[in-house]
Amino acid sequence: MDTPSVKVLYIDDEEHNLQAFKASFRRQYEIYTATSAAAGLLILQNIDINVIIADQKMPETTGVQFFKSIKDTYPDPVRILLTGYTDIEALADAINHGDVYRYITKPWSDLELHNSIKNAYDAYKAKIDLRNKVSELEKTNDELNRFIYSISHELRAPLVSVIGIVNLVKMEGLYNSSGEYWNLIEICSNKLDFYIQKTLQYYKNNKNVAEHSPVEFEILVSELISLYSYSDRDTQFNVKINQPVGFYNDAFRIEVILGNLINNAIKYQKSTEPNKFVNIDIDVDGQRAEITISDNGIGILNDHLEKIFNQFFKSKNHHGSGLGLFIVKEALTRINGKIEVTSDLAIGTTFKITIPNGKAT
Amino acid sequence: MVRHLKLQSRMVKPLNSSRIVMLIDDNDIDLKINGKIVAFTKSFEDIVVCRSGEEALNYLKQHLTTPERLPEFILLDIQMPEMSGFEFLDHYKKLPVSFTEGCNIAMLSSTLDFSDIQRAEANPYVVKLLKKPLIPAVLQEVVKEHLQR
Repeated sequence: MDTPSVKVLYIDDEEHNLQAFKASFRRQYEIYTATSAAAGLLILQNIDINVIIADQKMPETTGVQFFKSIKDTYPDPVRILLTGYTDIEALADAINHGDVYRYITKPWSDLELHNSIKNAYDAYKAKIDLRNKVSELEKTNDELNRFIYSISHELRAPLVSVIGIVNLVKMEGLYNSSGEYWNLIEICSNKLDFYIQKTLQYYKNNKNVAEHSPVEFEILVSELISLYSYSDRDTQFNVKINQPVGFYNDAFRIEVILGNLINNAIKYQKSTEPNKFVNIDIDVDGQRAEITISDNGIGILNDHLEKIFNQFFKSKNHHGSGLGLFIVKEALTRINGKIEVTSDLAIGTTFKITIPNGKAT
Repeated sequence: MVRHLKLQSRMVKPLNSSRIVMLIDDNDIDLKINGKIVAFTKSFEDIVVCRSGEEALNYLKQHLTTPERLPEFILLDIQMPEMSGFEFLDHYKKLPVSFTEGCNIAMLSSTLDFSDIQRAEANPYVVKLLKKPLIPAVLQEVVKEHLQR
């Protein structure tokens, strides 16, 4: 098998050791030698070394000092320390601070050194392979994310045109001109738009690092209520907000979280209930915001409580997307929030959320 | 190619010279929809329709000497090939102040992207970012707020 040659750098102030090393290993490895740390560094700067062997006891710079000095600049080559005497302190230092892979005593046995170099090279390769794999995966993941983002936007543009046309049909008084067909088109379009919006929310939640922005719950909640109660004016909202201090966290994610929960509370009302209500209580202090959203809606089966935060979980009777609460959970995870849910089919559902107050920076 | 859509004559003509709105969008269907919505608001008497930022800039430059044919309001799409809405604004700001100070721009987009919204509304020439689909009531409100005279 034609394996790539292993590049070994050996640093030792004693010339005859370098010669002996070359004599023993020049057939197996591509060998570079240096008589001082400074000379070794020069080689390191010009050649991709895989394994570095350094003698501990050298004038000016010791082996461990050398390894320490290149820890950040050349982290990849695997290090082997050679020493003539057993100095526990140097050894501890080497392992703790110099990132040393092996420790070999002088005079070395050719077999031991050979095996060590071989193992060191395997470790080197594993490290490089892993890094390549990680960056490859990061790239693929990034592309996938960007793909979701662009395709969602591309899908939404013509859909929004369709919704615009339906609006025109309404304006021109033609909405009821073809039985219920226009209404059905509108329902389907809105549903599709909902899915696309959820996809975009998911993408943004996945991609962005948490931001630090001020949140005014009073304003946010009233905006969200007017946004989501647009199509349903029956529900009574009882909002109690106690925010005596500033609250700082990721405004976008909090909007996503509250938006989804408020939307759900409106959507899953009992159609027979004459007094539909949604209670929103928010209490903010310097440590956290505690948000309770409860409704007297249809409730959630006990069996389902465990699963409602799973991606694409849908209950049989209700046409959800299986995305809303999943996104809520994901967004909360990103901003170190917590969520609890209790529900009773007779009474309704209560979500309790706690989000840490990030304070102003 | 610049098209003019003459609106129905039953519209009430304001006392001053006729009001013109310019629509810039690469999408024919959206131009049609938004043209209808603009007509519905009865705020303008003439619509200048441009399929690209370049076309719009050409029109504006050609009519600098005939201000009665310049728009008072522009609905500008963001996502367009070659020259995006934002790039259009970069060129737009080089037009004479005598024109730009009398003209308001609303950007129009199906975007849900926060950064787009912030970027649009931070631009001094843009009064608002309107989301597609354009709702007549929303347009009417913006027009009322920014075109009083």
